[in-house]
Parts: sequence; structure tokens; C-alpha cells
Amino acid sequence: MIERLPLLGIRILDLSKVWAGPYGTRLLADMGAEVIKVEGPGSWDMTRALHLLPPAVERPYNKAGYFMEYNRNKYGCVIDLGKPAGRELGLRLAALSDVVIENYRADVLEGLGMTYDTLRGVKPDIILVSMPSHGLSGPDAGRIGYGTHMEQLVGLTSLTGYIDGPPQKSGISYGDPMAGATAAAATIAALLYRRATGCGQHVEVAQIEALLPFVGEFFLEYGMTGRAPERRANRHRSMAPHGAYRCADDTWLALAVGSDEEFASLCGVIGQPAFADDDRFADVVSRYHHQDDLDAIISAWAADRTHRDAAAALQAAGVSAEPVLTIPELVADPHLNERGFWEDVTHLESGTWKTEAPAWRFSRTPAHTRLPAPVFGEHNRYVLRELLGLSDDEVAALEREGIVSNEPLPGQDA
Amino acid sequence: RGDPARRVGPFPEGPSAGSGRSPNPDPSAGSGRSAGALFLFLNTGKESITLDLATATGRRLLLELAEHADALIEGFPSGHLDALGLGIEALHQRNPRLIITSVTAFGQRGPYASHRWSELTAFAAGGQMSLCGNPDREPLMPAGHQGSYQAGIHAFGATLAGLLSVGVIEIGQHIDIAEMEALASTLELYLPDYTYVGREVLTRRRGNILSPTLGIFPCADGFVGIHVMSRNFPSFARVMGEEWMIADERFQSERGRLINNDEIMARIYAWAADRTRDEIYQRAGEERSTIAPVLTIPEVPEQPQMRAREAFRTIDDPRAGPLTYTGPPFRPGEGEWELRPAPRLGEHNAAVYEELLGLSAQDIVALRQAGVI
Repeated sequence: MIERLPLLGIRILDLSKVWAGPYGTRLLADMGAEVIKVEGPGSWDMTRALHLLPPAVERPYNKAGYFMEYNRNKYGCVIDLGKPAGRELGLRLAALSDVVIENYRADVLEGLGMTYDTLRGVKPDIILVSMPSHGLSGPDAGRIGYGTHMEQLVGLTSLTGYIDGPPQKSGISYGDPMAGATAAAATIAALLYRRATGCGQHVEVAQIEALLPFVGEFFLEYGMTGRAPERRANRHRSMAPHGAYRCADDTWLALAVGSDEEFASLCGVIGQPAFADDDRFADVVSRYHHQDDLDAIISAWAADRTHRDAAAALQAAGVSAEPVLTIPELVADPHLNERGFWEDVTHLESGTWKTEAPAWRFSRTPAHTRLPAPVFGEHNRYVLRELLGLSDDEVAALEREGIVSNEPLPGQDA
Repeated sequence: RGDPARRVGPFPEGPSAGSGRSPNPDPSAGSGRSAGALFLFLNTGKESITLDLATATGRRLLLELAEHADALIEGFPSGHLDALGLGIEALHQRNPRLIITSVTAFGQRGPYASHRWSELTAFAAGGQMSLCGNPDREPLMPAGHQGSYQAGIHAFGATLAGLLSVGVIEIGQHIDIAEMEALASTLELYLPDYTYVGREVLTRRRGNILSPTLGIFPCADGFVGIHVMSRNFPSFARVMGEEWMIADERFQSERGRLINNDEIMARIYAWAADRTRDEIYQRAGEERSTIAPVLTIPEVPEQPQMRAREAFRTIDDPRAGPLTYTGPPFRPGEGEWELRPAPRLGEHNAAVYEELLGLSAQDIVALRQAGVI
């Protein structure tokens, strides 16, 4: 039975690679779009090489967790768009698509001869979504930038870190998934616009510009005060106590106290009710000025408890507290498991393992993993024979010429 | 008093702006004002009405407004709207095609749905915090409101998808966005390396240096971030003036570079120490090398790229005066983003209640006197 998902009937030609673009197209695929990911025989998705598997493993490019995590619900085919016959296939596919998404460097699409004007020539209402790192124009258009660079260039890294330490990177290539989520939203907005007007468009999602709003308030703060915002580590501009406290077994508790009532509850939980009447902690201003004292008091209490026990006791008393959950703890987490967040997904060559369910939870059109991520060239036949109507002989000829492939050429995995 | 974000400082200082006074730690200091930096940033382009949902008339008006809406987005604690008689069913009874998006830390159901939460504690529950910070110190939350914004960008995309879904199933629906799940969806390769490969080593926070050529390094006037994948190694060696490394067999693979970690890092530290961020970024641009400076907030809008693309815009807010705001997060093919200043509280009461609900001037007065709006 056809699942009636929000993007049912929408076909997306996905030329994007690594994380930013693929995360965006994964969101669109989760929502029911038919996403066809095109890789080249030599220019395949680099995350297939980031498998961290032992050298003896065969076809590791089909077993890379990073790739599989962010390419579920997509079809995969391998066409060399850099060759004339491959470009021709790409344009024929575009003619059958609603959207083309790419996260190449600014000048690559032009080099392939697949600009917006070309695509519009084969599909007048096509939506092209470009995700260059720095933008399609400007002096930095030719630069290569990764998600780690984006957080450095928008100012986030300079604001993150210990108060006595250097700027600190976030734990992930943060610019990538934020650009991907922004591009997914932009694509759907363009589909809504096309539904209303019949017109396609070329949407530009410069990854750096997509991340700017994530630090937007700091630019206003600077404009208002004339002072560069400062690193605060885990501290808050007014609340105290506010931080992460070491618990037993090197686990950590996150705690944030705003009101006097919450502070009184905290004092009760840690067995120090008298602190609620201590002049040093009488109100939010006093607590802010004496937060070193508060941190020491809470650290002493937390030290011989587990983070889960400490957080549960505080929550029960109405204090905002959570364990700082690690990845293994998230996978075992009762809340996420009760919500069905972890799905067992069976992959063609790498068995069954847990992956997260779509975080966009719809009451009437619930999304889930319909397809595991494609192995290399898995859907060549579907794309070439069924969509493009080529004969077996024609496909065989394309394979002989290296335009279509089931096996990657070396080059991405040095 | 409106959105609590109206009372988050700093606040416009008028003529004394730029005098360098320290941020006021007292949140009540802003209670007489209604236009803190966070509110002004988050609410450009919107209209504002007031409506007291604690009153029966207020609840009735909300249901009437819902008839005129495509989407309703809310962030109350789970169960709050239901308790007011404004739950999903009540809203859909009035407007079956309505998309209702709830955005909270933990979602509408499950053991944590009723937890109290703040920016820090919600972020801590999502996994990303366990990856940020040094191994021997406490885990860190990146600056600002990263957890909320991640939930927000997902709520934005999901709501738009919801609008498309109305065309597919001919009826509205409810969307439950939990920040915890949004955060847990972007754990990069660190999640599958645990769930699939079964290793825990990458799930631990590793500070600023993840590999010999991936990290934040000090330079003459600050810091630069280097992120060199295999394909970027030759350009990286050229930028450092160490072309010989390209052919040296010790550095031919990721594994080789890892084994010879100390030599590469020593050369990076020595090379960066007497070069400025500008010098390094200039050379990186010439070689298309994947190195970028760590910029401070005042430096970002001054970058030539930001200026050339007008990535920042000046908005002249009547309360705060002209200030620099971040511009469009994406650029549609035609048209321009509408960047109106954030609204005053209730600024559009008359327009909205008259145009949508057909209320008269007398009605507005009566509602105001009854404390409904």
C-alpha cells in the first residue's frame, strides 16, 4: 500500500555528498519524497570511506556507518556526470524530477554544465537548491569549507569554551546538519510556492549564512553594549547555580536554577535547607555573585551519586536538572525507547542495528525507515531501466564505458 | 507581559550604548522594558497580538483565530493547552485542516514529558553536550541557545511539510517536535560507530584536537581551525610551506598521519605561532585549503564575504535604533526576505481582531477592559 506521506509524489535528484546536503535530503526522504542519490564512479560520497572498519572487511564502502546513518530512505545510483553521456543521463533524470539538490563548491555545477538555466531548459518548473559553503558569489565563493569551519566563521566557537580556556569547538561538524535542516525547509517552502504559483526557482542556501541565525542574538548584544560577548562556559547571564557537576563514575549532572522557589527546593534536596535563608543566596543577584560557593556545595553533594539519581531527585522537587547523557546512555534511554525513537534497521550488507527514527513526528503520517541506505549503485537498474527506459544492452554499454558502475574507483579513501 | 524573551537582556541603552557597562545579572532589571536583544532578534517580521488564555473569552477567541490559520505553533508544557480546552481535538474540531506543531524539550509523551527544563538541561539530555569539552573537565554547552534553535529549525521544516501533507491527506495533523530527539539526530559518525560498530571510544569528548589535522590551533593573534581530510592534505602541506610532506610515505594515508601525529602537530604549532589569522586565511584561500580563522562576534559582519553578500542587514527598531541583524538564512530565487522590526506587545491587536474576526472598535475596548487582550 502506498504510504501517504507529506512529500508523496515528489522526486528529488540528490547530487549532495558528505553531511550537510545528505542530512537535508534525508529529512526530505523521511517525509516521503523519492530521493535519488547520484554518486560518481570515482567521485563517490566520502563518508563511504569514513568507515573505521578493519582492513580485512570486504566492500567497506557498503558498510560505512556514517554513510548509512544519513542516507536512509534514498535510492542510490552511480553515474559519471563528468562525461557527456553521463551528463545526458543526469539531465534526463532532472527532467523527471521536481527538485535538484547539490552541495558542491560554487563553481562545480557550471563545470558539469548543469546550471539552473540548463536544468530549467529540460524541466521549466524545476527547483534547484544549491548549498555552497560560503555562497555562490563574493570573494570567498571558491573556498572549501566544512561544518567545523562554519561554527568558527560565524563566531560560535569564540563564544564556546571554559572561561579560563581557549575557544572550543562543538562536538560535531555543527554547520553541516544545520545547513541540511535549513535546506530541507527551504526546499519544502519552494514546493509550496510552486504549488501556489506553478513556478520553480533556484534557492541558495549558503551554509555559513544558514548558521548565522544560530548566534543571531549575540550580534544585537554587541550592537547594544559595544562590548564583544564573552565566553561563559556553562554559566548563564543571570541564573545561578547553572552548570555541569561531576557525579559518581565520571558522569555529569546539568542543573539550572532560576527562581527563589527552585533554589529552596534545591537546598532541600541536597540536605542544606538553611542555605535557602543564607544572605549569600537570598535572591538571584546574590546567587549570581556567589556562584563559585554554590558550585562547590553542589559538587560536594553530587560527587557520590549517579547523574541519573541526582537528576531524578531534583526533578521530583521541581528543579530543572538532567543527566548529561552520553551516546550509549541515549541508546538505552527509557524516554527515547518508550517514544520508539530507536528503530532496528536491516541493511543489505551490514546486518541489523539501531538507528534513530525521524524526529519530525506526525500524528497522521508517521515517518519511519522505509529503506536502508543504498549500497553502491544499488538502484542503477531502477533508475536506468525503469525511469529512463534504457535497454539492457544500453546499460551494459554504459557500464563498459565506466559511465555507470556498481564498484567504486579508488580515490576517496586514501 | 508577553513572551519572557522580551525580558532577557541586554536591553537598548539609547545614547549611552557602547559605554561598556557589564551585563546586568538581574533579570528583573528589564521588567519595565520589553525589547531585549533576544526578543528583537527572534521576532523580526512578525505581528503581535495579546490574548489571555486564562479567560473563557480568550479561549473562545483563540478557537476563532484558529479557523483563520494554516498552522498553530506552541511551546507550552505538554498537556497545558489540553487542560485549557484548547487541545488538538478542540482545535481540529474548529479547523480540520490546521497543522499544529508543538515544540518542547522532551515531546508530548514519554517519561520525561513533564520534566522541568531549561536551555542547559534540555541540551544535556540530547547527547551533543557529552561530545563537547575536554576529557578531563566538565562537558560544555556551546554558547547561546543551540538546543532551542535546533528544535526550532526542525519545527520550521516539519511545519512546512505539514502544510504540504494537507494536500495529500486532505486533513490537518499534529506534529510533536522534541528537542532531545532533534539533538540526538545529529551525532555525526559518533552514533553509528557505537550502534553499528560497537565501539565507545568516539562517544567520549575529545577537546579541541580530534586528529592531527582536525582541530583548533593557536596562532599569532588568536586561533585557526584546521579540518583536513585525505583529499585536502596536499593543499594543506602547500599552505604550511611543507610541500615535501605530500610525497613522504609516512603521510600517505589517514592511518599514517595518525601514527605520525606528533610530527604533524609539532609542525602545525610552529608554523601557526608566528602567523596571523588573516595571513593564514589568505594563504588557505589561494590554495583552496580547508583552514579558517576563529572569529569573534564583532569581526564576523566585517568579513569581506559578509559585506559583499549583504549577509547582515540593518533594521531600525523604534526602541533600539538601527542595529545589525543576521540576514536571510537562505535566499529564494525571487523576492527578498521581509525584515521588519520585532513588534511591540499587542501592536497588531486592532488590525488582526478587526480583519480576521470582524470585531469593532467597541469590542476591542471591551476586551481590553476585561483583561482579555
